[in-house]
Amino acid sequence: MWLISLRDLQWRRRRFVIAVIATGLVFGISLLMAGTEFTLYEDGRRIVGSFGADAWVVDEGTSGPFTTASPIPASTARRVALEPGVEAAEPVVISRSTVEREAPQDVNIIGYRPGSFVAIPASSGRGPQEPGEAIADVALGVDVGATISVGGHDLRVVGLAEQVTWYFGTPTVFVLLPDAQAITFRGQPLAMGVATLGVPSALPDGLRALDNSQVVRDLERPLKSSTETIALLNFLLWIVATGIVGSMVYLSALERSRDFAVFKATGATNRSLLAGLLLQAAVLAAASAVVAVVVAWLLVPSFPFTVQIPAALYLRLAAIVTAVGVLASLAGLRQAVKVQPALAFGGQ
Amino acid sequence: MHLRPTRDHPARATAHPAEDAATDPAGGPDLVISDLVIAYSSGGYEVRPIDGLDLHVESGQLVLLLGASGCGKTTLLSALASILSPTAGSIRLGDVEVTGLRGRELVDYRRHKVGVVFQSFNLVPSLTASENVAVPLRVAGVAGRQARSRAEELLRRVDLTDRLHHRPGDLSGGQAQRVAIARALAHDPGLVLADEPTAHLDYIQVDGVLRLLRQLAAPGRIVIVATHDERLLPLADRVVELTPRAPEASRPPHQLTLDPGQVLFSQGDPGDLVYVVDDGTVDIVRRRSDGGEEQLARLGPGSYFGELAPLFGLRRSASARASVRSTVTAYSLADFRAVQAHVDSTSADPA
Repeated sequence: MWLISLRDLQWRRRRFVIAVIATGLVFGISLLMAGTEFTLYEDGRRIVGSFGADAWVVDEGTSGPFTTASPIPASTARRVALEPGVEAAEPVVISRSTVEREAPQDVNIIGYRPGSFVAIPASSGRGPQEPGEAIADVALGVDVGATISVGGHDLRVVGLAEQVTWYFGTPTVFVLLPDAQAITFRGQPLAMGVATLGVPSALPDGLRALDNSQVVRDLERPLKSSTETIALLNFLLWIVATGIVGSMVYLSALERSRDFAVFKATGATNRSLLAGLLLQAAVLAAASAVVAVVVAWLLVPSFPFTVQIPAALYLRLAAIVTAVGVLASLAGLRQAVKVQPALAFGGQ
Repeated sequence: MHLRPTRDHPARATAHPAEDAATDPAGGPDLVISDLVIAYSSGGYEVRPIDGLDLHVESGQLVLLLGASGCGKTTLLSALASILSPTAGSIRLGDVEVTGLRGRELVDYRRHKVGVVFQSFNLVPSLTASENVAVPLRVAGVAGRQARSRAEELLRRVDLTDRLHHRPGDLSGGQAQRVAIARALAHDPGLVLADEPTAHLDYIQVDGVLRLLRQLAAPGRIVIVATHDERLLPLADRVVELTPRAPEASRPPHQLTLDPGQVLFSQGDPGDLVYVVDDGTVDIVRRRSDGGEEQLARLGPGSYFGELAPLFGLRRSASARASVRSTVTAYSLADFRAVQAHVDSTSADPA
């Protein structure tokens, strides 16, 4: 029956190609959206991990250093460093500002003390060693030696860093703590939190400790509605893909009613007809998946931020394609099962 | 009512009782049909295209099922192919009781015992001639190479060696029909059924197909052809007319007296006479598929009924039954026309 099914696809190749392209586009967009969702979360995990901290200390009323509006005195780090379990404690400023260009560009600001364990390694150039120096994200599109104005403060780019974007690819500028305080707090000696090496077993009153996963979840919280929307749209796209493949298989089954009747009259079972339809749906879905991968590869560079599509997403696509194929073949199965072999005796 | 072959080829006529042994000494299975009834519902009414058919066909015979459209030819073929379950009666092919087949046995019968040449060929358009012939083999699980080899052998046998890889759309009607015949022979079945095999062919193509069908009817195989094409008559060993032929109505008009409830004729009977009610009333009733009956009309003196069956060679589509003691006059179709013409001319006379 597999040969008959493949021959039928060959016979209806124009419709098959149209369905493959349409479904491939749908799967491709779905893959890109899944990649976007993955990138949003992955950026957060990577930026939190890049600090190299074991724990974070923040004001008790706040949910995390990346989203807080309640800074604490930077000097808190000295008290935290004295707590049991803490090997080192560094105040950090994490905020958002803009780079003044023809059109202001949003940037993330991270401020830290030079020589501390949170020093971000530059992929080229060096790290800031004195006020007025900065590491810029390559996504900002500036070279080492350039001067950028961030929140009204001129900074000289002394190094570049890669893959340090978050919040939909917003680039990050790393500066020394005083510069970050000047940009964010008009020079007040405040910090968003304290990153620690070692996990504090006790803390001064008014403070709370978070582990990295809690900080990542806090960082992801503002993204939740966006990622849920993406997930919903993705689900809808899978339904559309199922609809396209299902329509193709159903129409094919509808047009092949007399063929099915002949097969049944010659002793074919419903199971063998199902296998044939399943094969058609699987071939259609698999070909669509290949088109989807090509579409995704072609469209990734046109995105305003780097969209990552890891192997796991391709595997998920394969699973979805399989499910779509099975569901789509069910549409044709009903048609095939209800065909009576007596139909083969009818004239045309 | 029992239908029996009405025309048998004189040289081959047989009259075996239905319960005789089912295997011919030549080695092939005989086909024995006993008291076969096939009824189905159409528009809420019961239709019985086959009603009490007895038939015994010996291996090696070619039988024509002859009759007009709707007389039950294809219905009978469907039952012989075990595609349609009869309402009552028995079909035996050799030792196989076809009407009792279920599940795996039914599938095996369809795969190995019977081959069908469908009307309009019914070839799969996406497959080549060779692949079409291989379909029953592949369905039965025969390996690809073996199925291809067998298909090519069969196509050589029907003289289509140069059309192995042509699709049905690239074949003439006669070639397509020969592919369909080759497909029916895939498993070398003991029973080959052909439904209107000449319906879509010109006379040149018909010639080749007829020769082929005749050759197939050899010891070990029975060929049954359903057709309304009387050109096939010389080909047949036996002819079974499924359109009921009522005895020629040669009697002059005669009067019949019916007691209350007496049936004049029944639904499904052959019809030869037209009736005019002289006295009393006659009910025209039709059987419903739920077992009940529906009264279509109650006819009084001066009304006539039953003219369609003799006029078009149909079975009676309803029964006629006296509701009270009644008298009717029965006319042949010719006499009835004459009477009607007289009535019309009389009523047209201004005097």
